[in-house]
Amino acid sequence: MKRFAVICSALLFVGSLAAAMLELAPAAIDLRGPVAAHLAASGVSHPVTAVLLNYRGYDTLLEIAVLLLALLAILAVVGEPGAARPAPAHPVLQTLARLATPLMIVVAVYLLWAGAFRPGGAFQAGAVLAAAGVLLHLAGLLPGWQTPRLRLRLGLAGGFALFLAVAGGLLAQGTLLQYPPALAGGLILLIESGLTLSLALTLAGLFLFLSRDEVAP
Amino acid sequence: MIDSLVWLLLLPLAWATLAFVLGPGRGAWLAIAGLAAQFALAVDLARIVAAGGVAAHVVGGWGAPLGIDLAADGLSAAMLLLTQGVALPLAIHARAYFKAGDPAGVWFWPLLGFLLAGLNALFVSADLFNLYVTLELVGLAAVGLVAAGGGTQQVAAALRYLFATLLGSGAYLLGVALLYGAYGTVSSATLLPLVTAEAPRLVWIAAGLMVTGLLLKTALFPFHFWLPPAHGGAPAPVSALLSALVVKASFYLILRLWLGPLQALLPSFAWLLALLGAAAIFWGSWQAIRAVKVKRLIAYSTVAQLGYLFLIFPLLPAPGALQAGVMQVFAHGLAKAGMFAAAGVMIKATGQDTVAGLAGAVERLPVTFFAFGLAGMTLMGLPPSSGFLAKWQIIDAALAQGHWVIAVVALAGGLLAAVYVFRVLRQAFLQAPVPDTATAVPRTLEWTAFALAAASVLLGLRGVELMQLVMV
Repeated sequence: MKRFAVICSALLFVGSLAAAMLELAPAAIDLRGPVAAHLAASGVSHPVTAVLLNYRGYDTLLEIAVLLLALLAILAVVGEPGAARPAPAHPVLQTLARLATPLMIVVAVYLLWAGAFRPGGAFQAGAVLAAAGVLLHLAGLLPGWQTPRLRLRLGLAGGFALFLAVAGGLLAQGTLLQYPPALAGGLILLIESGLTLSLALTLAGLFLFLSRDEVAP
Repeated sequence: MIDSLVWLLLLPLAWATLAFVLGPGRGAWLAIAGLAAQFALAVDLARIVAAGGVAAHVVGGWGAPLGIDLAADGLSAAMLLLTQGVALPLAIHARAYFKAGDPAGVWFWPLLGFLLAGLNALFVSADLFNLYVTLELVGLAAVGLVAAGGGTQQVAAALRYLFATLLGSGAYLLGVALLYGAYGTVSSATLLPLVTAEAPRLVWIAAGLMVTGLLLKTALFPFHFWLPPAHGGAPAPVSALLSALVVKASFYLILRLWLGPLQALLPSFAWLLALLGAAAIFWGSWQAIRAVKVKRLIAYSTVAQLGYLFLIFPLLPAPGALQAGVMQVFAHGLAKAGMFAAAGVMIKATGQDTVAGLAGAVERLPVTFFAFGLAGMTLMGLPPSSGFLAKWQIIDAALAQGHWVIAVVALAGGLLAAVYVFRVLRQAFLQAPVPDTATAVPRTLEWTAFALAAASVLLGLRGVELMQLVMV
């Protein structure tokens, strides 16, 4: 009975949402024009990267802080994890993981570089690197992570710190995150490179800090 | 010339990151120094806003709707002032509270930094999507602080809090996406004339989703289910931060939408919110009167006090109502921070957390109970406290507009607050032998609680400046 009521109200909500969307007129403001018009000054030639790192770079700065914060919350909850190395997987799987990892690193670097002019960028590159880390862990080649030592902490926070330093440095000219058009491309690549590394560690950390229960009995 | 508005965002992010790099349990002095600087910046910003009107910053130099605008008016400046003003004494309190090696304090300082960065960013943002990102910063940091180093029960409370806060920000985000679909922008200033000119049905749904999501995060009755376990179970300095500041952030955002982009739609729901506010006052007070544990009592008192904030919505056409709301935010923020801090001292000193176990404790903790009493005075609304000023203004605005029901609710809430405050004080003044569990506590803990509670009373004497600031 309760489930029936929940399903009915959910359907009602979706129905009214869809009905309201169908009667919608075109939006009053179309931002595609301004995005394209300022693309030359943004330092990159792909509109999504321009929005993420230039026009709305402040959102991205805070989003990176959110990711770092998520990792921090996990660290605060799990406390002092024990050493963990999952049971070694089948040798074929291990060999495949060993073969795949260098390829994944190459793909990540390509995605990072491609972000300036086609779909790609730091988030995608970081996700691929993180996946490589998780793969190695599942194949029994990389142990789960303990409370992070200084080097790992620097790696986790470095990308965000770099982004923050660039934002603060640009403030010396008067405006937060206002790249001079001549330097914009280089600065964005610098920020994205730092972010790739830190995002990879952060995303992998979300998995590796939590996987301490997989110790073989 | 330092841009106070921007540095209020960058500074907490910087010291939070640095505290994380320094490592587990480190960064207390860094945080206190950073907070002291932020407090100076907030005072500076309040001066600038009071003298010269709205302070703004165009991030990236693009300008809305392409880029993101930051803007601080009197309301923002006041909230920033309260945030830094509450966080600084609480940080000093927390440094003494978390002993070395306490699992709850291991990552406290970076989490605190991100929490403050999120709050400050929220109070100055003029972009609905950017506001969502700040909501996530605040919510995640708060959940991390509640869960830190806790046992199963505390992590369960944190998890429930996480689901509530994620559902709340998810609903808000869906609303923002619908608004973007309808108008093609998420900038508050650009949206205002568009929404006022024409609001199709979809925009009503969006407004409903956004406000409902924020009500869930503000823990307005009947959405308060997550608050008592989360605020009651967390370490006392964390409970103080959450009750004083975090729930106010989503309230501030409702107020912003109400006065800003959605001002043509939301006033239709004014009486519904006031009704829920009144229910929160009665239900929260009743539960506080019945609570067995001290921190549960204070957490339910937060549910009740949040109700007052929603009584102002039907009165908002009159200028005094907004001032009353902000005064209540300040009164409750300072008093509740002081009260939770005092409760933390009581729990540490008596080694247990029930009201009954406080019998005779006043002899050993006179300063702490003085702080509890002063904070209670503000919650009851006795003159000359800021709580009195807030309730007086609510009643004044209600009577001026002929809504005497609201005045009656506000008065009744004050009486109920007196019942639960005196429940604790009466127990403390009972004659009782000193139990074996009694331990000495650092003086810093007692005096920071006292400073916060005293500030909530003394603010009543200097309330005029605050109200003038809010009107900018």
